[in-house]
Amino acid sequence: MTNSKIQMLSIVKRLAYYFRIWLMMSKNSFITYFQSRVGALIFLTGKTLRFIFFIGFLFYILKNTGNLAGYSLNQAIFFFVTFNVVDVFAQFLFREVYRFRPLVISGNFDLVLVKPVNALFRSLMGGADLYDLITIPPLIFAVYYLGSQLNPSLLHTAFYILLLLNGLLIAAAFHIAVISFGIITLEIDHSIMIYRDVISLGRLPIDIYREPLRGALTYLIPVGIMMTFPAKALMGLITSTGIFFSFILGGILLFASLRFWNYALKQYTSASS
Amino acid sequence: MNKYLQIFKISFAQEFAYRLNFIMWRVRNVLQIFLVFFLWTTIFADQSKEIFGYNRDKIITYVFGILVLKALVLSARVIDVSGEISRGDLTNYLLRPVNYFKYWFTRDLSSKALNLSFAAVEFFLLYLVLKPSLFFQTDAIQLAGFLLATSLAIFLFFVLLFIVSFVPFWAPELGWGAQYLLIIVATEFLSGGLFPLDILPIKFQEVLYFTPFPYLIFFPLQIFLGKVTGLALVKGILISSLWTFILFYSMKKLWYKGLLVYRAEGR
Repeated sequence: MTNSKIQMLSIVKRLAYYFRIWLMMSKNSFITYFQSRVGALIFLTGKTLRFIFFIGFLFYILKNTGNLAGYSLNQAIFFFVTFNVVDVFAQFLFREVYRFRPLVISGNFDLVLVKPVNALFRSLMGGADLYDLITIPPLIFAVYYLGSQLNPSLLHTAFYILLLLNGLLIAAAFHIAVISFGIITLEIDHSIMIYRDVISLGRLPIDIYREPLRGALTYLIPVGIMMTFPAKALMGLITSTGIFFSFILGGILLFASLRFWNYALKQYTSASS
Repeated sequence: MNKYLQIFKISFAQEFAYRLNFIMWRVRNVLQIFLVFFLWTTIFADQSKEIFGYNRDKIITYVFGILVLKALVLSARVIDVSGEISRGDLTNYLLRPVNYFKYWFTRDLSSKALNLSFAAVEFFLLYLVLKPSLFFQTDAIQLAGFLLATSLAIFLFFVLLFIVSFVPFWAPELGWGAQYLLIIVATEFLSGGLFPLDILPIKFQEVLYFTPFPYLIFFPLQIFLGKVTGLALVKGILISSLWTFILFYSMKKLWYKGLLVYRAEGR
């Protein structure tokens, strides 16, 4: 076997190892959700109602105005559904971030650091959210149904999927930045909520915002790239340069967040442990 | 009276103990306004346009009004009551010579005072940045109606939130769920805190106006904008007062029933 093949095999083995750990952690996390079934029902009802209310709101506005920044009713709803896909997937995968602060404050993060698992992986993806998992299938169906009505080409559909993945990559970068910031300042709860409020500006196409906010939402806090670009790509409204630029930015943000995480780890004092 | 004045002062000071938390919370409120502001600005790009009975000035005033009314009506410390009941901390208050409702209403007022002062600053800054053209009501009757409707809204939300906070008497682990449904879902959409309710179908509006939710934000703002006048204003105030009375009475009943099953778990 050549060296490259051995290396490839080792990477695949490592990935399989982490996938098994993720499955195990997710299973444990899901068990805790089953403890309160009524709670689960309330949460899902609330989530569904919010989704329906917002779509209803868009529907009645656009029924009277005809379009929103040049987008039809179907397109505007598709932007909203795409926003939800990125947001719900990010919450499903990175829910553990919301539970990170107690670990740092109590010093129990030490126990994560000494385990033979990457501490970032454990802190970021250690507790998948069952409620979000339940909402994923209907969302995918909504994307498929609404997307197919926009008659996209195969290439545009491929761009849409790739840009969605890029959006998730950027979401991961933000979550990494939030927990890194949390190690240094012990502030996580509001940082993550502010992140959520900022990305919620992507519920509608960023074309509705005025400069310089629109520029900031594209390049500084790339909500546009995360949420608006995938939907625009499906509609064939993004150039190949725009798509290329999106991936570059996604890569840069992930790289920067990983550097920030390494820096934050060096600042961890293990206080209270 | 002096007792509650002291509670007001202590509660006000407590809010400053977690300054970063409070500032972050206000930042979140401003961010939420951005989406709605730009959405309506885009829809009313043509300044002469009139949709749903609103012109551009009135709809932008509605958006800015949301910022102020949310600070006045929806900022409340009563949200902590649910946790106190489920943790058994309520016992501390039952042993003290304070009226539990007056205690929390005083704390609510201190929270509203602080939130309102921040909202005023945010209003000013947003006004400077976004340079919106706003509608100012000058009619004394409409302004008086607005103040009355807002006062009723403050009391109505206090009572509503208290009732929902009693859920842990019977189901200690479900306090958050009831609050989530009332605050996040019902008040966000059904109170007009995101969009004016008169864009919805007439039939839906007719049903909605018989619930307490539109009287929290939508109704006071409609009075301020001069869209509700005369008999409609009186009718709205009456419905709002009736809801406040019914819910206040229900709150008292539920409180006594709740105390009978309260087991001070966790103490």
